[in-house]
Amino acid sequence: MIIADRKPLEEIQEMIKDYENIMLVGCKGCVTVCNVGGLKEVQILASTLRIARKKEGRPLQIEERILERQCDPEYIEQLRDSYDQYDAVLSMACGVGPQFLSEAYPSQRFYPTVNTRFMGGAVKHGVWEERCAGCGTCIIHFYDGLCPIARCSKSLQHGPCGGSAGGKCEISKDVECIWDTIVKKKMEQGRLEDLRIQRATKDWRTARDGGPRRSIREELVQ
Amino acid sequence: MKRTLEAIHMNPERIEMFNLSSAQGPRFAEIATEMTERTKRLGPSALNPCR
Repeated sequence: MIIADRKPLEEIQEMIKDYENIMLVGCKGCVTVCNVGGLKEVQILASTLRIARKKEGRPLQIEERILERQCDPEYIEQLRDSYDQYDAVLSMACGVGPQFLSEAYPSQRFYPTVNTRFMGGAVKHGVWEERCAGCGTCIIHFYDGLCPIARCSKSLQHGPCGGSAGGKCEISKDVECIWDTIVKKKMEQGRLEDLRIQRATKDWRTARDGGPRRSIREELVQ
Repeated sequence: MKRTLEAIHMNPERIEMFNLSSAQGPRFAEIATEMTERTKRLGPSALNPCR
């Protein structure tokens, strides 16, 4: 899923400092699962902003909403009747949400309340790690299900590099050297020779390097 | 929640979380007394319109 972090409160307060009546829209998708933009977080942020503004003597009206997803026009459409009743709309979805909202309702102002970080999963309660770089040409089967593109600091396809020490990456003792893990796994499975196989140069055109991407399923297009 | 209160310049001492079971009536009374005394010491909230 997409992992995001809530923006600092001061940054959000600065965005809305001139407004008196806003809508705060959460998303039931990835940001609910990573506890940053679901219903609970919408309620907490709305209450916090209200209290802060009340303390300043400039009360703020906030309508709390949540959509099934903010990355599908059919759910974005659910705000059609209400989006223009506010000075601005804040989205608690990943970066896709405020863009879909902006595209659907060009006359309104939309603001992001989260910083979208990466594609990953929860390694333990409250801790998420990156697992996929979305390069568009998956090669993790060459590396026994471990992705060196997303998890090696240099995205090396023939590691480890000289910066690997004690199973850690030179950039931080908190970062696993995924190449150390790949090599150990190959050795445990008696398949270290796999890493000698010459592979074709990776086609980076499917990654972000090829510009903004689009996926089309012909069978679904009407 | 305490960090959130600090971020909006509210005294985080105004809230506290206690874990206790329904069988701990006396402890609940102690906590209520403790929080009442603390609230009196802190004085009216900045959000209190009667302040």
